[in-house]
Parts: sequence; C-alpha cells; structure tokens
Amino acid sequence: MALNIVVCIKQVPDPEHFSKVSLDPVTKTISREGIPAIINPLDKNALEEGLRIKEKFSAKVAVITMGPPQARRALEEALAMGADEAFLLCDKAFAAADTLGTACALAPGIQKIGHFDLVLCGNETVDSGTGQVGPQIAQFLNIPYLTKVKEIAFDEERTLIVKRGLEQGYMRVRVKLPALLAVNKEINKPRLTTAFGIIAAAEKEIKAFDCRELGVDPNDVGISGSPTRVVETFQRVSQRRREVIYGSPEEAVKKTTERLKEFGALVQ
Amino acid sequence: MNFDLTRQQEMLRDTVRQFADSELAPRALELDERGEFPFDIVKRTGEMGLIGIMTPKEYGGTEMGHLARMVAIEEISRVYPPLGFFFQTCHLGHYSIQNWGTEEQKTKYLPSLCKGEKIICDAITEASGGSDPTTTQTTAQLDGNEFVINGRKVYITLAGVADLACILAKTDDKFNTILVEKGTPGFEIVRRENIAGFSTMPVNELAFTNCRVPKTNLIGQEGRGLGIGLTTISVIGRTGVAGIGLGIARGCYEAALKFAKERKLYGKPITELQAIQFALVDINVDIEAAKWVSYYAAWQIDQGKDLRAIGPDIARAKLVSCELANRVAPKAVQIMGAYGVSEEYHIVRRLKDALQLFPAAGTQEIMKATIGRSIMA
Repeated sequence: MALNIVVCIKQVPDPEHFSKVSLDPVTKTISREGIPAIINPLDKNALEEGLRIKEKFSAKVAVITMGPPQARRALEEALAMGADEAFLLCDKAFAAADTLGTACALAPGIQKIGHFDLVLCGNETVDSGTGQVGPQIAQFLNIPYLTKVKEIAFDEERTLIVKRGLEQGYMRVRVKLPALLAVNKEINKPRLTTAFGIIAAAEKEIKAFDCRELGVDPNDVGISGSPTRVVETFQRVSQRRREVIYGSPEEAVKKTTERLKEFGALVQ
Repeated sequence: MNFDLTRQQEMLRDTVRQFADSELAPRALELDERGEFPFDIVKRTGEMGLIGIMTPKEYGGTEMGHLARMVAIEEISRVYPPLGFFFQTCHLGHYSIQNWGTEEQKTKYLPSLCKGEKIICDAITEASGGSDPTTTQTTAQLDGNEFVINGRKVYITLAGVADLACILAKTDDKFNTILVEKGTPGFEIVRRENIAGFSTMPVNELAFTNCRVPKTNLIGQEGRGLGIGLTTISVIGRTGVAGIGLGIARGCYEAALKFAKERKLYGKPITELQAIQFALVDINVDIEAAKWVSYYAAWQIDQGKDLRAIGPDIARAKLVSCELANRVAPKAVQIMGAYGVSEEYHIVRRLKDALQLFPAAGTQEIMKATIGRSIMA
C-alpha cells in the first residue's frame, strides 16, 4: 500500500504570547506584530498522524499551506519533522481570506500536488477556531470528511476505522479513501524535530504556486472570495468578584458552602 | 554584519528548548538527588542527532557546526546543566578522533558515540595539575606494537561510565594521545570524586598499571599529543563551558523574572520595585553581552579561522560566560529571597553547577593568561 497523504497546515500566533495580541480597531483584525508564529498545534497533530501512517505503511507525506512568504518557515519545520514535500500557496490575491476563500485556494492546491488518498488537517486553529476549512476543502474535493478525529486505524487497504469525539462519548466510523480527516489533540503527541530532520529538510524543496499557477479565479479567493465581513470586534473583559474566607478548614468549608448557596451556585 | 542564526540553527534552538522544557525540566531535581548517570536521556539526545552535532555525516553525525553546538548546549543547560556538561566533555574525545584519528578509528568509534550507545571521556589532568599538562607523568612506553601505559589521572569527568578513554601520556620526552578501551587489563576506575555540582556526571580517578594497548590506538602523529589535547580543550572544552554558562545564567534569570512577576510585596508585584527591576536589567544586559562574545567565538570556528589566532576569543567566551553564571545565580537567589535557596526553585542546583565551570577546560586565570599573551605581544 502506497498512500499519498496531504497535510494542511497554518501559521498562527504562538498562544504563549496571546497576552500581547491586540485588535486593530480600523481593520478589525488581530494585530500579530511582534508575536512569533508557530504551526497551528492541531495541524502538528495532523502531521504527526501522517508521519506515523508513513512509518507503518508505505506513504508519502506532503504539507501545504496558504500564506505570505514567511509561511515558508512553517513548511520548513514540517519538512524537518519528516514531511517529504512542501507546497506554499502564495499570492497577494489570497490575502484576508475567510474560511471559504482559504478552502477555495487549498482545494485546488491539493489537486495540483497530484494524486491524493488522505487529506489531514487540524480540527481548528488557535487564532480563528472556526473548524470550517477542513470540511470546506472536502466539499470542494468532493470527498467524505470526518471532524474531531481522535484515532485512525486501517480496516482494509483503503478503508479506515475512525474514532471521532462527541461531547459525551465517541463514534466509530468506517470511511473509504480518499477522505479528509480533521484531527483533535487526543490523537497523538507530535514528535520533536531532530537535528537529523533539520539537516534532511535542507535537501527538500518547497514549491510555491500563485493564483495563476493554481488556475484559480482571483475573485474566488482572498478577500474577494470571502463572504464574511467583520462588523465589530471587541476585547472581552472578564471581571470576577473575589472573596477570601478565613477560619479553620471546617469553618471555611462551611462558610464557602453557605456563600455559594447564596449565589445559587450550589443547590443543595 | 549578520547576527542572525541560520534557519537550521534557529530550528535546532527551538527543538532543543522544547526537549529541555518537556523532557528534562520535570526530572531535573529527581535526577540530581539520585546522582545517577542518565543513560536514557543521553540515548535520546543521540537519537535527536545532538551528540553528533559537530561530527561529519558519514560517521553518524549531523555536522551542524560549533555555533549550533553552543546553542544546543546553552538550551540544555538552561534547564539541566549536567547534560550540557556531558556534551562539553564527550565532545572532547569526539573532536580528537574526528580531527586526528585514522579512518579505522573514526569508523569504529564515531557512529556509536554519536548515537550515545558508547561514551568517551578525555583524560589529561593529573595530580600534578591540570592547567599545565606538560607536567604529565603518565607514561606510554612502546613495546613492539603496543603502548604500555602506567600512571594516574584525576578529576576525569564521565570516566565511570565511559567505554573509551582518550588519554594524554608521555612516551620518552614526547606526548601522545592514546585511546584506551574500558576493560583493557591494567586500566581501572579507582574511585568517584565527591564534588558539588553536575551530580549526575561521574568524576573519577583512573589508574593504569602496565596497561597494554595496540599502537594503532594512537591518535594523530606520534609526539603531537600535547597540541591535540590543548587545541581540543580550547575549541571544544572552552566553547562548551561558555554554552553551559550562558544556559545556567538564562535558567536562573528566567526563574527569577517569573518569580518577581508573581511575587507581591506591599500590594504589588516586586517587578515594580526599582531595586528588583535594576537587578533583573543588570542580569539581562550581562547575558546579552556574554552571549555575543561566546557566539562570536563559536562562529569563528565554523568560519574555519586559524584556531591559534582565535584562541584568545575562545578564552574570552569561557571567561565571561563562567563569570556570568556565577554572578547571575546568586543574584537570582537574592531576588527570590528564601525561595531562592529552596531546592524546589531550581536555583541552588544551578549555583552548584556554575561553580564547576571555574576549573573546567582551564581556570579563569589561564583564560586571562591566554588573552594577556595576545594583547601584550
């Protein structure tokens, strides 16, 4: 079995620095200035799963991202983790895309790479959190998709048994390839890049495609292809009342329980 | 002038930092308390290509260079300095073999050393002194195709766990660097020294009694041992110590900064007190200055500069980074008050490790003598 796996990744602001994130009142977008970019954590889980499938069976793992030239850094890291090929979709026309505009570029990008059996992506990103891009790509590619995937097993050569998380349990689904799976963090623990991976990545090429090379109408991508309009953005201010209760542990527990009952937080 | 790390060096720094935070930090205290050599961690760094970081690819290394090595040692030592000291020490032997060893020696030893399956120690220091290796009394007399080694070595880091020792001995009036495998009759580890700092890295005394090794174990040309030893200590030992010093300082600084942001006094975080601000600023500036002096030395080695000519720059790196670690660790204690001397807060162990940097790879006074010779010439 030789599978062609494509992993979609996105560069996002490092959550460690989220305290520095601000909202631009004019553009109503997130200002990322001075915040280091990383591969979206769940996309790393997707890549890790692709690499594990590659190690178990015979497979080729390609990574693809849409973004500005600096998104190349995310691809370099993915190559160092063990991906075989990397593709950057880079064009001014792609800028300011919402999920639809992004999927409109990624789907033809995946087709441009060539034959694919399995498309993997993170269930959502830490900067937008919509969880829409994966399903939209699958729609454009006309393949089945599953979200919140926490386990992937092979049933037959081209059939997977996929465990997907539900709010109070899980669901096992049999899916035939080609398919798109959007993974969550329970699926695996992404590996650390090694020095061997870093030097191997230097030998691998990153191919870049613009709008014309993808054969995409500029009106379908970027801001032109994005129906979403951000009307307002605001920073949520969380305010909590604080109260310190003194006394022996027994007294403090008693007083705390009484206070919580007063607020309706404890019923009995 | 370009002060940027290459993309490869950057990725290496990031991954070693993640490795240190996720796999070393949770175990640091327990490892130090037990004082046992962390074989599993060493193997893991071998798998990551870190042990072979400056060894050619054909011998199982990743050949990323000396600046990459310093950055990796710094990141490791930021969290767990004894592992940085492991790199500093084992690389002495790796460097001697890869630079002056025969093809057979390189093929035989380097791949397993890079994987962390085998460990090498470098044995120069004797009771007669470490700063002046010309006082070496260990002898290696030629008898046919064998060297017969007699003598003792002291303060040899890693010897207790090493599979191979790279020793300096005298053959008549000439110095030779010779490899001695563990288990060779007449070669024994006499005892483990009881010293503060780097508690998981054994430091031992070695004894050689009519220990016979094949003449093919000679590294480099006959009579060139002193040059090999001194060059290796400068290029590998001193840059390694510089990396550890930077790492210890950064580890202490980050811990003190985090503490100061959280610790409240008079109703506000102590970072709002100018005395604390100034102390943290002093440390911050100190680290930045030492970092660039050290990176410059390692960068010059990567550029293929004449090693003799850059000897003083390497000495500066060792001198400032060792002083840095020993200045910053006590300052961190002061910022953190009683917490600073609590083992749980990880400053005390770093302070003990920092002390070990004074004698490592040449004392501070030897560094000054080296720099002094170059400026007085």
